[in-house]
Amino acid sequence: MANPQQLRGRIRSVENTRQITRTMEMVSTSKLKRAQDRVVATRPYAQALSDVIGDLYSPELAERFPLLRQPGDGAKCVALVLITSNRGLCGGFNSNLIKLARARIEQLEQKNVSVRLHLIGKKGIGYFKYIGQEIASAREDIGDKPTVEHAADVVQPLVEAFEREELDAVEVIFANFRSAMSTPPVNQRILPVEAPGARVNKSKSARAAGPVRVPNYILKPSAAEIVSSVLPMYVRNSMYRALVETAAAEHGARRTAMKSATDNAGDMIDSLRRVLNRARQAKITQEIAEIVGGADAS
Amino acid sequence: MQVTVISPERSVYDGDADSVVAPAFDGEVGILPGHAPFMTLLGEGRLVVREGNVSHNFEVRGGFLQVVGDQVRVVTESASEG
Repeated sequence: MANPQQLRGRIRSVENTRQITRTMEMVSTSKLKRAQDRVVATRPYAQALSDVIGDLYSPELAERFPLLRQPGDGAKCVALVLITSNRGLCGGFNSNLIKLARARIEQLEQKNVSVRLHLIGKKGIGYFKYIGQEIASAREDIGDKPTVEHAADVVQPLVEAFEREELDAVEVIFANFRSAMSTPPVNQRILPVEAPGARVNKSKSARAAGPVRVPNYILKPSAAEIVSSVLPMYVRNSMYRALVETAAAEHGARRTAMKSATDNAGDMIDSLRRVLNRARQAKITQEIAEIVGGADAS
Repeated sequence: MQVTVISPERSVYDGDADSVVAPAFDGEVGILPGHAPFMTLLGEGRLVVREGNVSHNFEVRGGFLQVVGDQVRVVTESASEG
């Protein structure tokens, strides 16, 4: 049995670790709260954009806009944007994202589609550098407070390449922030912009209850020009939302990971303390036995 | 009429108003209650939302303005109060 001195040392060390993980949990909780507010605040904008595209969209317009070009199955080159966090200690968060990205790359390469990998976040960069995958671009300066400018920076070259028909699709792999506990990695295609026609029809019954839609707007300058300036906004915003959701999801994942680390440390302290008490008691019992034995002998 | 000013980060204004003056792509446009359904692209400049004697000013850049029913929606990529 370990001696009490060693046990005391281990208990102290686990207590220190627990202190650290508990602090990290609390830090994540407060960051999560703010990140969550940012996620919620992006919704009206996204809703407004998709409403407008839905209102103005028509198949005739679609043929004229490069951003709506649907290459279908003939895609030759796809840009894959993977968003990961810059920091670790958040459980399986980053490895889940990387796993999904690898699966998608494999899937695309089997169809002879070349993949250009754009990485955001140190963890993804570190991994793909390690396995020696070719990386088209990498940036780790975005951190956990992404801005609209960051999103525009990332997406602008991709939009331009798509317009030049160098890319046939742009997909983003990020963590979908469903709740603090559920942040599954998802793959979203942001280019070509999905034709919203089908969506409008589907939600017609849902809309009937809402405010009556008036389709015949006075439009200035014209439907085509409005769509051509709203579509890039929509694409930029998809990227912005992916960044914001991933940032919130990271804090959620870290809080969960740190909470279980804190709980585990507590359990470990309990069992170490039990061993310590037993050892101490055994020692006392033994000493009494020796004293009694000594008294009997004399 | 009800006015909302929405930027990607958040809704910067949401409430009633008596008038809205917005910088459209080709010059200023004023919206009063009861305007016909309308949609225009925005340029760069000052958006003024007036409610009684109070006016709220925003610097906006790009985006669009939409009037449906008695609701005005200003959607812009950049809106800062000032």
